[in-house]
Amino acid sequence: MTTTVPTPAPPVTELVRFAGVTKTYSNGFTALSPIDLTIESGKVVSIVGPSGCGKTTLLRMAGGLSAPTTGELTIRSEQISYVFQDPTLMAWRSVLANTELVSRIRKVPRAECRHRAVEALRLVGLENVQKSLPRELSGGMKMRVSLARALASEPDLMLMDEPFAALDEFTRERMADELIRLWRERRFGVMFITHSIREAVKIAHEIVIMASGPGRIVETVTSPSPPREDPRAPRDEDALEETVKYIGARLAAA
Amino acid sequence: MSITEQIPSTTSNSTGSTVAPAQAAPRPKTPRKNRTARTTLFLVLPPLVVAVIAIVLWQSLISVFGVPKYLVPAPADVLAEIGPAIGSLIQPTLVTMGEAYSGFLLAGVVGFTVAFVMARWNVAERGLYPYMVLLQTIPIIAVAPILVVWLGAGAVTNTVIAAMIAVFPVTANTLTGLKSTDRHLVQLFAMAGATKRYEMAVLRIPYALPYVLTGLRIAAGSSVIGAIVGEFVAGIGGGKGGLGYVITSTAQQLLMPRLFLAVIAASCVSLLLFGVVRLVEVLALRRWHESAMATDD
Repeated sequence: MTTTVPTPAPPVTELVRFAGVTKTYSNGFTALSPIDLTIESGKVVSIVGPSGCGKTTLLRMAGGLSAPTTGELTIRSEQISYVFQDPTLMAWRSVLANTELVSRIRKVPRAECRHRAVEALRLVGLENVQKSLPRELSGGMKMRVSLARALASEPDLMLMDEPFAALDEFTRERMADELIRLWRERRFGVMFITHSIREAVKIAHEIVIMASGPGRIVETVTSPSPPREDPRAPRDEDALEETVKYIGARLAAA
Repeated sequence: MSITEQIPSTTSNSTGSTVAPAQAAPRPKTPRKNRTARTTLFLVLPPLVVAVIAIVLWQSLISVFGVPKYLVPAPADVLAEIGPAIGSLIQPTLVTMGEAYSGFLLAGVVGFTVAFVMARWNVAERGLYPYMVLLQTIPIIAVAPILVVWLGAGAVTNTVIAAMIAVFPVTANTLTGLKSTDRHLVQLFAMAGATKRYEMAVLRIPYALPYVLTGLRIAAGSSVIGAIVGEFVAGIGGGKGGLGYVITSTAQQLLMPRLFLAVIAASCVSLLLFGVVRLVEVLALRRWHESAMATDD
């Protein structure tokens, strides 16, 4: 009998902390009323809520793309990657060049850029299409390139804005599994926006439920079946199902 | 022929019928070369047919109604004029080519630079754009005499007029291209800490390339119009008139077949430039941009 010794998880640190953060746009629209939220390293947090509840605003703030109107926002993450709903690739550059992009902008030495990109493409299973142009790939493959580009910059925090929403159901589920697998490998923190409650519950340690008018956090639910270090650990499917129902009810009531 | 029939007769020991294997055999594919030839024919034939019909119609209308040659020459008259006129048309064609193509290049460089400056600095766009529009709305014929006074009658003036007409489509298209870059890619560059210069070189300019080339394609036609208009007004300078000068002088003398040839030569000057720009467009974009991709794959 052999027992697998799980690799010890690195010490938990706060990557991003929102303390009473609000956002009001110059046209007077209040996107977010005071938000308190902490994203810890190595934790997957998914965010669900109706359109216009400020999910993307929250994500943009975490990425430093938008400043809070009031409150305190602390970003401790050293390397943030952003994954959009569309693959957002440069159509005239090869898969490899697209994957290298962020490291290249950061002036990482060329050989190191190449090494990281090749490794990231291998992780997402695209080592064979390095020279292809984006238009030669399927929607799911393009999204994988987008993921590889995010991974290649070796982030400690991934900000994902409905990254799989444009994919078909089948590809979408596979990409969610893929994300969990990549998380096991790299242990980045994740903020994951989605419209699919099931997806939110399946991939995350914590699910943040938001409501609109103005955007606010209604409740934070701990997943009964979070992604685990050990891929063979069984999932509690019943509890997962119950949580999906609960969140659905909370969203409907909000 | 024999292979498809031999295989079943050795493998199947029942009926030995050749009907089933013949159905299973792969349908012979049309060779690629053949297909390309057919595609080319499909592309070339329709406009060719229209041209032939038009020429036949033109010739027969003139014959039927007896239109005099000094009003409308028949295709045969124009054809017959090629021999005697060719010597006196080459020089003007080269002059117009020189003016139009230099004007086109000038418009390309100035147009791109102005668009670049406007895209890079918002304040420059606000300051310059109204005047770009104004330049476009000035009837160029009205400005030509002023330019003649300033620059003298001749090739320089005609080049400037050609450039003035051709510059706006280059600037307008380039600017649109530089400013319509995917906003998420811009965000990605910003998050990674890219400088404005890097973003321009690596993202915005390649993204704008299809727009730039569209602008140049429009400019190709405009610059030849500009050069000819310039020659109408100012083309006699230095004794070497271009096609514009030939067109005005042959029209005054009612040398219609020669006038028609001059017009055809002017169109060729325009077509050649247009073709070169289109070729560059296809070579530069065919791998990644819809506008230059083959349509049948």
